[in-house]
Amino acid sequence: MAEHYSSFSRHGTGWLLQRLTAVFLIGVLAFHFMLLHFVNHAADVTFMGTQMRMQQLGYFVTMIAFLVTATFHGVNGVYNALVNQGLAGTQRTVVKWSLVAASVALVLQGIRVAFAMTGSPIL
Amino acid sequence: MSTQIQEQESEQEEQQQGESVPAQQQRRMDQKRERAADEERQRERVESSLDDEDTRTLKVFRYDPEVEGKKDPRFDEFVVPFRKGMTVLDALMWARDHYDSSLTFRHSCRQAICGSDALFVNGSQRLGCKTQLADLQNPVRIEPLPHQEVVKDLVVDMQHFYDQMDAVQPYFNDDDVPDGLEEQRQTRENREKIKMSTRCIWCGACMSSCNIAAGDNEYLGPAAINKAYRFAMDDREGEAMKQERLEILEQENGVWRCQTQFSCTEVCPKDIPLTDHIQELKREAVKNNLKFW
Amino acid sequence: MSQSYDRGLVEDFGRWRDFSAGMWAWVFHKFTGWVLIGYLFTHIAVLSTAIPAAGGDPSIYTNTLQGLEDLLVVRFLEVGLLAVAVFHILNGIRLLFVDLGVGLTAQDKSFYASLVLTGAIVVASIPTFLVGQL
Repeated sequence: MAEHYSSFSRHGTGWLLQRLTAVFLIGVLAFHFMLLHFVNHAADVTFMGTQMRMQQLGYFVTMIAFLVTATFHGVNGVYNALVNQGLAGTQRTVVKWSLVAASVALVLQGIRVAFAMTGSPIL
Repeated sequence: MSTQIQEQESEQEEQQQGESVPAQQQRRMDQKRERAADEERQRERVESSLDDEDTRTLKVFRYDPEVEGKKDPRFDEFVVPFRKGMTVLDALMWARDHYDSSLTFRHSCRQAICGSDALFVNGSQRLGCKTQLADLQNPVRIEPLPHQEVVKDLVVDMQHFYDQMDAVQPYFNDDDVPDGLEEQRQTRENREKIKMSTRCIWCGACMSSCNIAAGDNEYLGPAAINKAYRFAMDDREGEAMKQERLEILEQENGVWRCQTQFSCTEVCPKDIPLTDHIQELKREAVKNNLKFW
Repeated sequence: MSQSYDRGLVEDFGRWRDFSAGMWAWVFHKFTGWVLIGYLFTHIAVLSTAIPAAGGDPSIYTNTLQGLEDLLVVRFLEVGLLAVAVFHILNGIRLLFVDLGVGLTAQDKSFYASLVLTGAIVVASIPTFLVGQL
C-alpha cells in the first residue's frame, strides 16, 4: 500500500492546517459579524466608513488574513468533501486544479478590493 | 436447539415408464404446487399454535442469487413466540427451525464473542445474539449489513473487511522481542490504555455503519485503524514497527478520512471508543511528522 | 464475486431517520460549510464595487450595499447567514475538542448544545438585523 512516503505528509499537513485555520476563523468570523451587524449596522455601511476601517493597518492585515484563511479552509473543505464521496483519478486532478484556480482568483480579487477600500487602488 | 422440523412430504419418486413429456412436466408442476401448499399449511399450523402466545413479528430480508424465483430481494414475515430474554438470534433460529430451513444467517458462539452475527436490525448495526427482542420495536426488521455484498439472505461477503484488517499488519514484529526473555511484560497502565481496543471481535458492524467507507471503500475503516491502535500504542512494539504502522495509517485512505461522525462508536457491540482511538492516531501522526521538522 | 443487487440510497441517506447526533452534526457542518464558501465568493463579488468607488465615485459602493440592505429578503437572508455561520462556529469548536480528544463521550450533548445556542443567538439577533425595515 505504501507508494510514497516522506517525513512531510501532505495529508496530515492538510488536516492540521484545516484545524489551525479553523481556530483563527472562529475568532475573526465572530468579530466580523459583531462589527458589521451589531456595532455598525450593515444597512449604514458607506464607502467612507469602510475606507476609515480599512486604513487602519491592523484591521487591513486582519481582513487580508481572514480572506486567505477562509478561502483555504472553505475550498479545502469542499475538496475533502468531494474526495470523501469517492472522487478519484483524472476527475480528481481536474477538480483539484479548478479549485486552486478559483481560490487564487478569489484571493487576488479580494486583495484588489481591499486596496481599493483603503482609497489607494492597485491595478 | 436447532432441531430441524422434517417436512412431511410423500416420497413418491419412482418414475412411471412410458409417460409422455408434457405429463411429466404436469406432474412436476403438481408436486411443486403441492409443496407450496404444504409450506403454507405448515406456516398456518405454526402460526395458529401461537394464537394465545405473546409473539413478535420478524421481517427478514431474503435473497438467493442461485435459486430461480428468489433472485429478487424480498422480505419474509415470521411470527415467533416471545420469551423473556429472547435475542434476535434466538428468534431467527426459531423461524428457521419452524418455518423455513433455507433461511440463512451466520452464527456460532451466541455470546457476543465470535463476531459472526452482526446484522442490520431496525436500521442499526447490531449483534443478533446481544440484542434483546424486548428492546426493539415490533415488527423487527432484519437485514444483512449494509455496504457489503450480500451472498445469501443475511450473509454478507466479509472478504474486503478482512483484507483491510490485514492491511494494518495486526501483529507484533518478532525482532521486537528482547533476547532471553521467558515472557514479555506490559505495565498495568499500558494494558489499561489498550484494553478497549483489544476487545474487537471482527464483526464488521463499525465498517458497515461508516458513511465514508460507504462512499469509497479504499478507506481503511474503523476496525482496522483500531487494530493498528492496539499495536501502535502497546509499549512492547518496537520503534521501527511503530513507524511502519504510522506510515500505513497516515496515507490518504488512512486516519484522515475519518469525519468523526461517531457512527462506528455508536454501533460497536463491544463498546470500543473507535472515534477516540482514530483521533488519537491522527494526533500521533501529526506529532510524528513535526519531529522531523 | 457474484454481483449483488443495488440497495441504493437505502444504505445511506435514505436512512436519515436513523441518523444519530454525530451524523446530523456532520451533515449540518457540511451544509453550512458549502453555504459559507458560496457566500464568500458572492461577498467579494459585491464588495468589488469598491474598485470603481475608489476610482472617484464612492456612491457606487454605498448605493449598491444600501440598495441591497433596503430589500427585506436580503435582511432575512442575512439572518439565515448568521444562523449558518454561528452553527458552523459552534460545531467547529465542538469538532476541535473532538480532535483534541476532549469530551468525546459527550459529543451528542455538545451537538445539541450548539443547536440550541445557535437558535438562541439567531432569535436574539433578529431585531438587530431587521432594524430600519420594520
